[in-house]
Amino acid sequence: MAILVNKDTQVIVQGITGREGANHTKAMREFGTQVVAGVTPGKGGAVHEGLPVYNSVAEATSKHQVDCSIIFVPPPGAADAVLEAAHAGIPLIVLITEGVPTVDMMRAVQEVKALNAVNLSSGGKGIRLIGGNCPGLVSSGECKIGIMPNKIYSSKGRIGLMSRSGTLTYEAAKLLVDAGLGTSTTVGIGGDPIIGTTFADVLPLFEADPDTDAIVLIGEIGGADEEAAADYIQNHMKKPVVAFISGRSAPKGKRMGHAGAIIMGNVGTPESKLAAFAAANVPVADTMPEIIEMIKKIVG
Amino acid sequence: MKLHEYQGKELLRRFGVNVQDGKIAYTPDEVRGIAQEFGQAVVVKAQVHVGGRGKAGGVKFSTTPDKAYENAQKILGMDIKGLTVKKVLVTKAVDIDKGVEYYVGLIVDRNVQSYTLMACAEGGMEIEELAVERPEAIIRHRIDPITGLRPFEARAVALKAGFKGNLNKIATMMVQLSKACLELDCNLAEINPLFVDENGDPIALDAKVDLDDNALYRHQDLMHFRELEAEHPLEIEASNYGFAYVKLDGNVGVLGNGAGIVMTSLDVVNRAGAKPANFLDIGGGAKAEIVFNAIKLVSKDSDVKAIFINIFGGITRADEVAKGVIQALHEGILTKPVRMRIAGTAEEEAKALLAEVNSPLIQMYATMFEAADAAALEANK
Repeated sequence: MAILVNKDTQVIVQGITGREGANHTKAMREFGTQVVAGVTPGKGGAVHEGLPVYNSVAEATSKHQVDCSIIFVPPPGAADAVLEAAHAGIPLIVLITEGVPTVDMMRAVQEVKALNAVNLSSGGKGIRLIGGNCPGLVSSGECKIGIMPNKIYSSKGRIGLMSRSGTLTYEAAKLLVDAGLGTSTTVGIGGDPIIGTTFADVLPLFEADPDTDAIVLIGEIGGADEEAAADYIQNHMKKPVVAFISGRSAPKGKRMGHAGAIIMGNVGTPESKLAAFAAANVPVADTMPEIIEMIKKIVG
Repeated sequence: MKLHEYQGKELLRRFGVNVQDGKIAYTPDEVRGIAQEFGQAVVVKAQVHVGGRGKAGGVKFSTTPDKAYENAQKILGMDIKGLTVKKVLVTKAVDIDKGVEYYVGLIVDRNVQSYTLMACAEGGMEIEELAVERPEAIIRHRIDPITGLRPFEARAVALKAGFKGNLNKIATMMVQLSKACLELDCNLAEINPLFVDENGDPIALDAKVDLDDNALYRHQDLMHFRELEAEHPLEIEASNYGFAYVKLDGNVGVLGNGAGIVMTSLDVVNRAGAKPANFLDIGGGAKAEIVFNAIKLVSKDSDVKAIFINIFGGITRADEVAKGVIQALHEGILTKPVRMRIAGTAEEEAKALLAEVNSPLIQMYATMFEAADAAALEANK
């Protein structure tokens, strides 16, 4: 089961013939993900490693059942690729690309939300965007739609994991596996300021998931996503959550790699995030290994 | 990319925003010449990428060309928050006493996943300070990123903020600011103060514009605004390598693969009782050559006393990282102790390579904490 994706999820890859798209398509298939086709405008009719390539997403959805699209299109065309997938009615769109202009993301996120509302009101499953600038998502042992290393997600666990950072997600997943716990689903929400799905959007899915016992939230400085998550946890969650905040010693006003990891004035400070989690009774680990200790205490 | 006031004004003017005539000058003589040409009182304003110029004495009202010359002498070469003033903007002055100062600004607001327009009848103050002291004085309005701000919305915000003056002209300026923001891909576009003169007409007395670096590829015409001399030389070199690098004020060089892991590495170095000299993300899948370049870069920083490398190998292979470090050692670039933790793929191969070299300069540890402690110990020697 897990959330969002499972062994039956059928995936297309937008930008399948590019270097990143090709490499990660291979790795996803090795993981066991059902990749059914690729899309590269202008290369329709080609066959890539046994997979049909189409000129458009609409063409792909007319030939296949498509539950999800993963996008590796370079920044100038990335938001357009998102909108193409959304207009084709694909329920889950995962944008991996880093470096998409913020205005493009604002417009794409707004339009995807509008399409989602229309889709839901006409009885559809809705349309959700994850990312950009994210590692994707993976339901351990079932389906990976992303770029994370396969090995640490091969066996199922019962901890839900979500993060703004790629590498820290892998680090946490590895620690969870080594501790004999493992992950149910891991969602990398992305390091950009404007993203399709926030922590607070993922939390209700974990809360409703019978395969998830507890949740690890890996946040970082910048923005107020962690504060919004803390608010949601306080008011709606029964399952325990453990948090971690990266970049607590970073100076104000400097962008720490991720476009979204910046303290601006009094917004995005670690103090504000710590206070929000404290108010919601969410323990915050000071180090990555401490996350595991805290989770172990909770789930026994 | 942060812009100077004069650059921001030049861009806003393209969108119809009313700004005072102004010229840029590098010497007091040039300032006097411009003041003579304008034939009226001027303001001499330091052009540096930092807020609070007025408080620091970098903005001076000058009634005559000689006064302007005198003021320019004081301002040029002045240090404002660590930045040296190399040029000034000379603008025609307005009679501040005969009008009112407001604030309008657009900022990327992740909470509403778009821009938020902020308006406040108390202009001139830094908006961050105002947001803390009197948040209720700021009117906030989400901008639709597809349509931009419409005039009716601008009028409503202006009224709610309590702006006095020609409502339509003020609203028009706000719409122009929104257009500029969306078309130029701004992270921030601010008019502070927005001055409304005795006739009710709005004038942008200052402009603060910050452009989205991810969108610069489609604004090649704005690239000449980039001032390499204003950036740290190592930051320029890092951007040539495609690294995300930020110079910090400590003495432990920090590098890792991924923004999150590097941010955490900074925290771990701090916990270990030392201060990071930099943030350096070498990205995923880093090959030996990239690691070599990263060490070359960090080693150029004379503040660096030790280097902490923190790699989690998913896509990145540990042996590639080790090869890069060893190459730096062999080429004589690596002269400071490297304390590293490389976990994951090909960890054993990396250990074997390092054992072969057997240099006291390079030590590998099982956890990031041990490696950071060791690096801090070296740096604090």
